[in-house]
Amino acid sequence: MTLTATPGKLERTGPPVRAVPPWRRKLRPYVLSLPAVFLIVGILYPFGLGVYYVFLNYAAQVPRPVLIGLANLTGVLSDAAFWNSAGFTVLYAVLATVIETVLGVGIALLLNRSSLIGRVLERVLILPLMIAPVIAGVIWGLMFNPQFGVLNYVLGLGSTFDWFSESRAMWSALLVDAWIFTPFVAVLVLAGIRSLPREPFEASEVDGASWFTMFRRLMLPMIWPYILVAVIFRFMDSLKVFDHVFVLTAGGPGDATRTLQIGAYQNSIITFKYSIGSTYMFLLWVIVFLTARYLVGVLGKAQRRAAGTEA
Amino acid sequence: MIRNRTPEYARRDVLRMLGVGGAAVASASALSACGLGTGGSSASNGANEVTGSFDWKKAAGTEISILQTPHPYQVAFQPLLAEFTELTGITVKADLVAEADYFTRLNTELASGAGNYDAFMTGAYFIWTYGPPGWMEDLRPWIDNPAATAGEYDFEDIYEGLRTSTAWDFQVGSPLGTGGQWAIPWGFETNVIAYNKAEFDRRGIRPAETFDNLIQLATDLTDRSQNRYGIAFRGSRSWATIHPGFMTQFTRQGCVDYVNEGGKLTAQMNSAKAVEFTQKWVNLAKAAGPTSWTTYEYPDCTGDLGAGTAMMCYDADSATYPQNKQGNSAQAGNLAWHPGPPGPDGKYGTNLWTWSLAMSSASKKKLAAWLFIQWATGKEAQAKAVQTGKLGFADPTRKSVFDGTFKSTLGGFPGYQETFEKVIDSTSIKFTPQTQFFDTTEQWAAALQDIYSGQEAKGRLDALAAASTTSVNEGR
Repeated sequence: MTLTATPGKLERTGPPVRAVPPWRRKLRPYVLSLPAVFLIVGILYPFGLGVYYVFLNYAAQVPRPVLIGLANLTGVLSDAAFWNSAGFTVLYAVLATVIETVLGVGIALLLNRSSLIGRVLERVLILPLMIAPVIAGVIWGLMFNPQFGVLNYVLGLGSTFDWFSESRAMWSALLVDAWIFTPFVAVLVLAGIRSLPREPFEASEVDGASWFTMFRRLMLPMIWPYILVAVIFRFMDSLKVFDHVFVLTAGGPGDATRTLQIGAYQNSIITFKYSIGSTYMFLLWVIVFLTARYLVGVLGKAQRRAAGTEA
Repeated sequence: MIRNRTPEYARRDVLRMLGVGGAAVASASALSACGLGTGGSSASNGANEVTGSFDWKKAAGTEISILQTPHPYQVAFQPLLAEFTELTGITVKADLVAEADYFTRLNTELASGAGNYDAFMTGAYFIWTYGPPGWMEDLRPWIDNPAATAGEYDFEDIYEGLRTSTAWDFQVGSPLGTGGQWAIPWGFETNVIAYNKAEFDRRGIRPAETFDNLIQLATDLTDRSQNRYGIAFRGSRSWATIHPGFMTQFTRQGCVDYVNEGGKLTAQMNSAKAVEFTQKWVNLAKAAGPTSWTTYEYPDCTGDLGAGTAMMCYDADSATYPQNKQGNSAQAGNLAWHPGPPGPDGKYGTNLWTWSLAMSSASKKKLAAWLFIQWATGKEAQAKAVQTGKLGFADPTRKSVFDGTFKSTLGGFPGYQETFEKVIDSTSIKFTPQTQFFDTTEQWAAALQDIYSGQEAKGRLDALAAASTTSVNEGR
């Protein structure tokens, strides 16, 4: 085939193009940015309002609040219940992330082997992710019930094994968390594994490398950024955990499973102390923000290492 | 020198700003959940604007919105709304919100001051929170206005304990019954013991008449290997754990929550009597209560009674009542009621819960809202609801309805009427009214859980009492 048209000399057919008036040209960037402006205002306004409440004494009992400076912050930070909640929240987030990452990576490695069972499991695996955590909490709450729940019956624990005693309540909540979110880690890591090039693995196989060596020296460094992404998502999410924990334990027994979100809910919604609840949420936001910044930095470093741009 | 130049942002700076925005996005919904506007209403009472003679058709053509939670009372009244519309010409738009979320929704609505709902269901304790900010209309002027209230309404027919439970002047230390009438009791419940009569008869035993005997009886009835335990009562980390069986027996054993000392409330949960009772109550939960007691709410308790897993249930009579209706539970027809053990003085002080109807002070259709409340809490509608309610209507708040229509429905409910009549004169709210009720009472439930988990009762209750005293007096 021969090109006959001369570049730059193509003739345009159809109706003539009208010149866009200058005022419309000037207006266009503003019009295009309107959705973003609405979005940001819609999001930042409640955020700003929440921060504003931190400095008020606003509660249902105080309908006309006044500014009280840092009193809420100092009050909450000197309250043992807050530190108990903060400690539990961080512990819960660390444990949930570790458990779900280890299990998720393991499941992803198993599913990577192409088999009929693997393909079926791959599809079944994501089912828990489709269930709202609050619903999962209700379902598991029924299964945990010692009187009529299926777990005690199947496991032969009788009617005396209490899944929500002080020493077990956190682990029961973690079990439900792992059930819901391990598939998220597995799916993410599996996608990462499947995107890896085959050549390095084939070469190392020819060189006689063991499966474990290939995993440790080749696969793990290459999928590390994917694992880190999963860790960041799960850790951030776990710091903000509320729904299934609240449904299962309401923060009890005592304060044994009272996360910061539950503390904020109890203050804002149950006891109507909006400013105290906002203070809880603000402090949680600070924790999440700082942690996110640190972890995103770690992720960037890992990505640069995986790409070979940083030693 | 003034430098006038466009700021230059490095890519990293831009990313940093985006990061801040992103984090804000992540947290905004949570923070906004805490922000409920600055509602509250300074609207004046609307009763004085109603003049002339009374007429049900005075607000004909109006549509009112009411907020309700699914409940046997609401179920009983739903089919009757058409009759209300026929009587008054007012149409009722009823929104239902599940009980677990109901007060969150109601609180948000009232705090916004938008007046989206003209009337709503509420519990008496909520008046102590919703009243002081001015979110509720004082209904006393409406009751007293003959132009707004039918002559046959007969407010005094409602049990006295209920009328006083929904009135308060919002002054810390003032008793209930003072001040405005913030809601009209619609349905209510006394907290007594429902038991498996078939099993009791088989064993030839009777309900206990002292608290110590109750502990012994419940323990004897417990056989974990058979998945059977003696007595169900609430234990979740919620204020609702305290108000039914616990508060009733707490009162009967001679304990009080607060004493008023010169206008200052002092918490008494750590008095010698209270510590002894609380320890016994927790021991009862351990020895003869449900295994996961710290998660138990009323549906769990009544469900176990109906399933035959729990032999007794110390909770609201109206909550156990449906379990005895045929088709509702495995033990339907086998249940009976008993007042529970009286105190050492032989008295049956009983705490109550009432679902009441209240009006939003921000309502723009106050007359129509009042006509609805008046009709729903009136003799005729309540008597009809008792007869036709699918899930029953236990207990009606009017003496005339209880003595008339309701008694005739109790044939298959052994001991229900006798129990009711035994406790009704000493049934009232046994809590000291105070604006921090939900905070302090939830902390009370948390303390019970801590003691259940092994903490020493006296020390834990000392800490609870100190915190509660501070909270109720300082309002923090």
